[in-house]
Amino acid sequence: MLKILEKTRNGEDGIIAIGNHPAIIQSILDFDFLSGKKKPSLQCIITGNRKAHKCFFGAREVIVPCFKDIEHVPADIKKRVRWMLNLQSGRRAFDSSVRFFEAFPQALGGHIFAENVPEAHATELIRRYGRTKLIAGPSGVGILISGALKLGAIGGIDLTQIEAGKFKIPGSIAVVSTSGGMTNELIRAVAASGHHVSFSICIGGDRFPVTSLSDVLALAQADAQTKALVYFGELGGSDEYEIAELLKKKRFTKPVVAYVAGIIDEAFDEHMQFGHAKALVHRPDESARAKREALVKAGAISPATFTEFLQAIAELPRSAVRDTVADIETIMNRTPSILSTREIVDQSEIPAFVKRGKLARRGENSFASSALKALLGCAVSPTTAAFAENTFELLIDHGGAVSGAVNTMVTARAGKDMVSSLAAGLLTVGPRFGGAVNESARAWLSGVASKKSAADFVEEWARSGALISGIGHRKYRVGVPDPRVAALAQFAILLKKHPHYDFAREVEKITSGKNGKLILNVDGAIAALFLDILKECERYSHEELAELVEAEFFNALFIIPRSVGFISHFIEQKLHDEGLFRLPEELLFVRKGKK
Amino acid sequence: MARVKISEYRAKKLILGNAYRGLELQGGVKLPGRLTGQWVAKVDQGVKKRFKQGLVAIGSRSKLVAALNSWKKKGFSRFIVEPFVPHKENEEQYLSLERVREGIRVLHAHNGGIDVEAHPEAVKVFVVREPADVKKLVHATKIPESFLSHLLETFNANFFAFLELNPLVVRKNEAYLLDAAALVDSAGAFFTRVWSESDIVETKSRHPAEERVKALDATTPASLKLSVLNKNGGIFFLLSAGGGSIVIADHAELTGAGKLIGNYGEYSGGPTREETYLYAKEVIGLLLHSKAKRKALVIAGPVANFTDVKKTFLGIIDALSEKVVELRKNKVKVFVRRGGPNEAAGLGLMREFLKREKLLGAVYGSDAVITRAIDEAIPTVC
Repeated sequence: MLKILEKTRNGEDGIIAIGNHPAIIQSILDFDFLSGKKKPSLQCIITGNRKAHKCFFGAREVIVPCFKDIEHVPADIKKRVRWMLNLQSGRRAFDSSVRFFEAFPQALGGHIFAENVPEAHATELIRRYGRTKLIAGPSGVGILISGALKLGAIGGIDLTQIEAGKFKIPGSIAVVSTSGGMTNELIRAVAASGHHVSFSICIGGDRFPVTSLSDVLALAQADAQTKALVYFGELGGSDEYEIAELLKKKRFTKPVVAYVAGIIDEAFDEHMQFGHAKALVHRPDESARAKREALVKAGAISPATFTEFLQAIAELPRSAVRDTVADIETIMNRTPSILSTREIVDQSEIPAFVKRGKLARRGENSFASSALKALLGCAVSPTTAAFAENTFELLIDHGGAVSGAVNTMVTARAGKDMVSSLAAGLLTVGPRFGGAVNESARAWLSGVASKKSAADFVEEWARSGALISGIGHRKYRVGVPDPRVAALAQFAILLKKHPHYDFAREVEKITSGKNGKLILNVDGAIAALFLDILKECERYSHEELAELVEAEFFNALFIIPRSVGFISHFIEQKLHDEGLFRLPEELLFVRKGKK
Repeated sequence: MARVKISEYRAKKLILGNAYRGLELQGGVKLPGRLTGQWVAKVDQGVKKRFKQGLVAIGSRSKLVAALNSWKKKGFSRFIVEPFVPHKENEEQYLSLERVREGIRVLHAHNGGIDVEAHPEAVKVFVVREPADVKKLVHATKIPESFLSHLLETFNANFFAFLELNPLVVRKNEAYLLDAAALVDSAGAFFTRVWSESDIVETKSRHPAEERVKALDATTPASLKLSVLNKNGGIFFLLSAGGGSIVIADHAELTGAGKLIGNYGEYSGGPTREETYLYAKEVIGLLLHSKAKRKALVIAGPVANFTDVKKTFLGIIDALSEKVVELRKNKVKVFVRRGGPNEAAGLGLMREFLKREKLLGAVYGSDAVITRAIDEAIPTVC
């Protein structure tokens, strides 16, 4: 037990959170980062409704794995775990704590956050773990070991607070309190007076804290870094007599500055129950006055007023520690991602489909052949099958940001099944997303048939105010060609004639002359080349091609492969389930409705 | 929360089971038409020293009826009626059980009916850590083992915190519990089926505002507490945090303003904006009802760990907004000291609001001492 602080300072800091409290969990990672740790101390979260929880480590996002129960934690995580942060309610805290310590006999301790843990549960925890583990609570805000461990809300949850408390730097003053708010108030008082905290434990306001005040004093006595102890207590219970005993018997030899709150109780006719479970005077010796007097008698500095108490803290000896200031502004400007996913197709590596005038990859293309046979009603030539195959390959996915993928992921996160999530993605396909292949086939087909010049064609479209499907890209421009278009364009070499493709390129010359981004895009290239391939290799007439356009055949070239992409995103969400998706409020612009 | 009193009837029923012949009278339940022999009736609302206060009656049915009627007139509503056990004074013993850190602390005295606090020398103290310790207890007290084991088991299994049997009469293997007082751990209510909220007795009645806050507290993981101390007080508190709130109230007492305090209470554990609004509304209502000539509202607390200052202050502002006209008419000034998450934003909103509505006393953050707001409020109401 006495080695616990030392072990933790030496890196035994792995935490499992049981239950999720995003703000507290984030504050632990922020503390770790500001303390200069290379990795977060938090190892995983035990929670039933998700498989991953996103947090920031500094300004960078990290994914913390979540498991349904302790038994599912994999061995490589298990071996790093030393601490339990139990965030469950008083109804479940006992059972889950016992299960934790049974699964992790090597654990150093924990914090039970819940109020309303029955006394009988607390005394049973004391019987089992009181001698060997450091356990803060039930209730309170946890354990802080400066620069080494933040187990709970202790010291605050936002970056400004962590910085103001100065506890990323190890100091020499131990802070102990029954009250969570006062623990933080004292940490700040210690920092404001130019001191630093060595460690701080909020034992909680329940009647039977698992680690008692005497236990904490024993830790503080054994800890070479700690030079003095600051204590906040309240009326009710008799813990302060334990401090007095330890002081009298010289088992605690460092200076103690204490405040016992509750003089106000004397203003009432009857003893009152204050906020914490223990804060009620049952016997005369449990009054704030009696306990303060006992402390003073035993040699502690225990002033009557809070102002004098703060003064006494300020007068404690200082340790030579240099403060460092972190640039928290930069970290505070971080914005969380709203969906996490996996790169499904590597867009930076596009293979060459045609080499030296021949198909580069002679495969069976059996799926593409069968798919086209089904769609067109007849067997197709190897070139047509290869083009379809390569198109499928390119269009499987285009990242998680596109609207169809977003809808698939959001639906998956809502707990829906594969077909529903896929349908949600597919139902997004239309004029603005993924439906451009068919529309650009329509444009090229009519352009070539009209025998107009590309310039007139563009002028006509421009005058009508419509955009030409198949032209324009958000990222690529003249000088930075789309590698997918370049790879597909090689198919033109395999054809004797390619009027639709030529026409598309002519159009591109005109449009990109006005705006470098208005280049032939992958939808436009697929449409143009497929029209040419069908015409030459499959002998389709103009009328037959027009029928295919009417039947929306060309969109199938997108829908077939992209279904694979959507399903991949669906599976990714299920594997990495982060729970129900909700758009963060700050990403919405909400206007007041008119009455 | 914490340790609460349950009725004597429920305590005895839990210990003695079907063997207990006592009756519980409350609500519409009346005394049975026929009672043979001598019976005892007592007020069963956790009142101490009932005999001295005339809240115990012994005798035939007609005598009990008369006593019950007179108690009802005094405002009591919960009674226990049980067969009278004639006994000699020297048969009376004292026995109490209390849950402590190490197990169950048992106090026993051979001469019962006494005030144990006044006669500590007559009382023997034991701590039962494990079942084997019962033997020692039996040996020292001469109370039958079957009864003691059963008593300890009942105590442990049913989330008792304290049980006092005084006097207790033991004849051979029979134990007669003449009087019983019991505290249970309210956190145990979820885990036990043998007692419930309805067995918890209240010695004093609550203010309607206290009732409403209690009901609100029961439906949130946050903590919301309110006690009315002086209906016509001058200082009303919207304090936060269990410990910090006492420090602030202490400071009022130490400065000599204890009698001016209208209420004590605290919100903590991260209540939502809506919960804070409902809580603040009750305190503001108390303040407006006070007949004191000079009144101040003190919104204060320590540097919170995780309670969001902005969110909770928005709730308080919502409640203040509804009553700005009345507050101004009462010349109420508002004094604030608070720190914690979103401190700057929360304090900024509050300062702006109070200034605009002409309610501003002072607004301080975590760089000011925790007692700063109360310090400045006191001179304005004295």
